Amino acid sequence: MDVNEAQLISRCQQGDQDALKEIFNQYHQKVYRIAYGVVRQREEALDIVQEVFIKLYRSIHQFRGKSQFYTYLYRMAMNTAIDHTRKMKRVPPLSMDEEGGLQLSDDAERRPDRILDHKELEEKVKWAMDQLSPDQKAALIFREVEGLSYQEIAEATGSSIGTVMSRLHYGRKKVQELLKDYVEGGR
Amino acid sequence: MWKGGGRMKSECSSVSRLLEKYFDQEVTPEERSLVEDHLSDCSACRDALKSMENLTTLIKSPVEEAVEKETFPWVWEKVEKGIQRKERPGLWDFLKSWLDVTPFLKRKILIPAVAAAAIVILITAPLLFKKTTSYPTLSVVKYVESETYNVMIYELGTPQVTVIWLFEGPEEESSTS
Repeated sequence: MDVNEAQLISRCQQGDQDALKEIFNQYHQKVYRIAYGVVRQREEALDIVQEVFIKLYRSIHQFRGKSQFYTYLYRMAMNTAIDHTRKMKRVPPLSMDEEGGLQLSDDAERRPDRILDHKELEEKVKWAMDQLSPDQKAALIFREVEGLSYQEIAEATGSSIGTVMSRLHYGRKKVQELLKDYVEGGR
Repeated sequence: MWKGGGRMKSECSSVSRLLEKYFDQEVTPEERSLVEDHLSDCSACRDALKSMENLTTLIKSPVEEAVEKETFPWVWEKVEKGIQRKERPGLWDFLKSWLDVTPFLKRKILIPAVAAAAIVILITAPLLFKKTTSYPTLSVVKYVESETYNVMIYELGTPQVTVIWLFEGPEEESSTS
């Protein structure tokens, strides 16, 4: 953590809202990436960003500087996003048939300008990611979207490097299997 | 073993353990050269690596696109509004804040109130737990037989009640005996 960031955090811990705004400006895109990676829906992701920074302001006094600030913030973002998906759990808009084919909801079928291919693919990726456990999903998003190292993921998730590697391995394996038509190499 | 169209070699099993670490750039320089040597003549492992790259693209691209397009309208303003709004305390916080009074109030109000409550409990507890019998105890005090009438005197428990029961003739049982 650099000196500027430490000062910013210290000011924020004393209730300085300008300091929070600086932290927001620095990190809101990264928090959005994590949130969007989990929920894959714009409005929900924006709500999560908002919620994360409100939570941060209220709980930043608990940050003791033992870990990197960004891993502390990323953990908060990931937990908030995963809690959000639990709360918002509803009937999925589409499902897969036995061969893994995409089944559109009636509404989607009726639409004249039917969903674009890449939109369908996005839905399929979301569906596959939703089949993972929250821990596997967190590890995969931290790695694939945010590009964190094993060490950083371990810090952000409060687990060991071995556990991170295992979650990544089984998470990837599962999503690769579910999306095998799109990911298999040599095609 | 077949994967992604290429045939895996016997040394693949040892390299495949490193392949994911290699992909995630977490290998040592020695491990890197070992994997790269193997990849140069193993199409199955190259395919496996390609699958990992494809998966990353599938997961990452929509997020990148969404971030590029996003203008974050009013997000900071909503955060500002949110932090100014007072957080509703939970039940435990409410109780804690209610109990967390100044020492003066503690001495003048809280302690006498707790003492008064304790006294009330001490007084009422014996009444609450007092044993009550649903049926009063009944005891026969006297039984007198005559040729025409029999008299039985009962006494009930608290409140004390005396019942005098007068009935005709000798009892059948006594007449038979």
